Amino acid sequence: METQKTEYEADRFREIKTSLSVFFSNKGAVVGLVIVLVYVVDALLVQFFPQALGLKHPYTLVSNYVNPVPQPPSASYPFGTTFPGVDLFTSILKAVRVDLGYSLFVVLLGAFIGTVLGVISAFAGGIVDEFVMRITDIFFSIPYLVLALAIGFVLGRTLDNMALALAIVWWPIYARYARGQALSIKEMTFVEAARASGSGGGKIMFRHILPNVLPPIFVQISLDLGTVVLVFSVLAFIGFIPNANVPELGYLASLGLNYVATAPWTVLFPGAAITLFALAVNLVGDGLRDVLDPRRRS
Amino acid sequence: MLIAARNLTKFFELRGGLTGKGAVQAVSDVDVEVREGEIVGVVGESGSGKSTLGRLLLGLIAPTSGEVLFDIPEELLQKYDEARSANDKKTMEEIASKYSITRKSGRELRALRRRMNMMFQDPYSSLNPRWRVEDIIMEPMVSTGYLTGNEARKRVRELLEEVGLPREFAYRYPHELSGGQRQRVALARSISTLPSFLVLDEPTSALDVSAQAQILQLLKRIRERFRIGLLLITHNIAVVSYMSDRIYVMYAGKVVEGGPKTSIISKPQHPYTVALISAVPGNSRGPRVILRGEPPNLVDPPKGCHFHPRCPMVMDNCGWTAKEVAEELEFLLRGRYYGMLKEGSKVVPQGELEILVEGAKAEEVRKVIEEEKEEVKSLRSIYEVREGNGGALVKLMRYDIPGMYRTDEGREVSCLIYRKT
Repeated sequence: METQKTEYEADRFREIKTSLSVFFSNKGAVVGLVIVLVYVVDALLVQFFPQALGLKHPYTLVSNYVNPVPQPPSASYPFGTTFPGVDLFTSILKAVRVDLGYSLFVVLLGAFIGTVLGVISAFAGGIVDEFVMRITDIFFSIPYLVLALAIGFVLGRTLDNMALALAIVWWPIYARYARGQALSIKEMTFVEAARASGSGGGKIMFRHILPNVLPPIFVQISLDLGTVVLVFSVLAFIGFIPNANVPELGYLASLGLNYVATAPWTVLFPGAAITLFALAVNLVGDGLRDVLDPRRRS
Repeated sequence: MLIAARNLTKFFELRGGLTGKGAVQAVSDVDVEVREGEIVGVVGESGSGKSTLGRLLLGLIAPTSGEVLFDIPEELLQKYDEARSANDKKTMEEIASKYSITRKSGRELRALRRRMNMMFQDPYSSLNPRWRVEDIIMEPMVSTGYLTGNEARKRVRELLEEVGLPREFAYRYPHELSGGQRQRVALARSISTLPSFLVLDEPTSALDVSAQAQILQLLKRIRERFRIGLLLITHNIAVVSYMSDRIYVMYAGKVVEGGPKTSIISKPQHPYTVALISAVPGNSRGPRVILRGEPPNLVDPPKGCHFHPRCPMVMDNCGWTAKEVAEELEFLLRGRYYGMLKEGSKVVPQGELEILVEGAKAEEVRKVIEEEKEEVKSLRSIYEVREGNGGALVKLMRYDIPGMYRTDEGREVSCLIYRKT
């Protein structure tokens, strides 16, 4: 019995090893992973050890009204400064934490709600399915940004509420994906085989259908992490979210807007930080898909 | 008796559509039996209801009507059949409520799952691609509570050896296996709880010939070792004649003939079986019977015997209806006997057994029928032509619905030719 167990664990280990080797054979994914890790490490450091990065005020922007006009990049300000005298480099370091956090919150909440609803709706069929899908139709009939603005307006225009509003408009796409995938998997013979083997509805739904639904969901999550950072920044950029000096990439990009003709770096650097993250997360998503699909492992 | 189906019927409702609702009569009024340790073959062409029958027997789909009696003592089954011929609903109900799997609650049915299972045709979609072979084979044991944890894992290794696969395969994923190996895994799964009844739905159709032979031999060995009653669904006569003890032949949702393998293959009695057996390549017994037409649309199957429109030996009372006869009569009157039907007049079926040939004389129509009877078999069902309101009124004889007629030892045929009068 004991040997069998170690045999089993050894096998587990072997499996993780294959997963890693599959992921690392995709060069783009590795590059993406490195960039994402840099963002994540930065976010964690700002959260827990801000002094390690030499940040005195990690959760707010520090203005310098003595010299508010944007300064070009120099030795003391690697990315230059933006209005009003805010050092862009340290601000971007601080902002990554905020954007990453909200983006994760929005996407994971949306994906969770959407996937569960989608799988249930596909599995239950009938009225339940009809009901859930008509709700997603309602969400899809209104442009998501407009809808998010409306919901955000109702909830109150704060950063937290805005994230919640985005999560509310973000789940329907996951519900549709999960449902579509689940519908095709539901008809496969292994589901019938499971029923013939005495497995109940819950087991079939969560052990048979869900694992086969997840891969495209993961890919969608990775794509959306970047998109939500973008959307969030856009909302901050257009000034929809009143900002009390919270370091956020979109808000940061909007600060130097009046000087963009003479000081392009004020928009360029925060914008690049957003784009780079969106790109890296996409690359990782690609690699993740390879790992999750057993057919690509061999 | 391991499992016995009585009057088993399954209609699949059609949803929506402009023409209103209907139902596909996939299986209608079927009786089948499988004894302990017996291999019973079910043959028939695609769409004849074989797979539906298999799923009904396992309770995977609910029948529209009829009973599936599982593990019923011989005397009680006999009593049920007697009650059925005497139309004694009370006794039938009494026995069915105790043995029919269609009456079992979800919990009882789950307990029964340990005793019956199914193996599917396509080894590529019948195994969950994200599960390891070990988990796949374990599933019936765990789900039915037969064995769990390490005991179940140990049993998986034994089963793998039983089906001729190395133990290490427990850690593989289905995509790492060939079709034949997957089918072995599927077999290991289906026998993991040592069931007494197994439905094999075209177990070898998706495999190449050498893998087919291996799987069939394996099935035979497994059957002998564990005394499992097998229902082998296939369209391949060769497979059935190699494997089965008894055979049922299905056509258009009905069992047309049943009996011991050797006697059916060597002496088929139902005209459809005769055609089916004669179509086997390399068969030297008698001329090949080539059937005309196609299998019927099961939303509106032919009346009487479902096979009658294609039957080479069809008789006058096999199920001809006014619609069928009117169609052929009109075809004749507009073709070979052009001119008999006046411009704008039609051949109109009236009800099920009467046809009005508008503006025609009874005498002429009678002559046409007499002339063509030999060629056009549906005309044989006409017994009277007389002058009617505005034309010739053609009357058809009432058709009979064939029952199962006992012919030789253990043989049953659903054809009026074998009805004893």
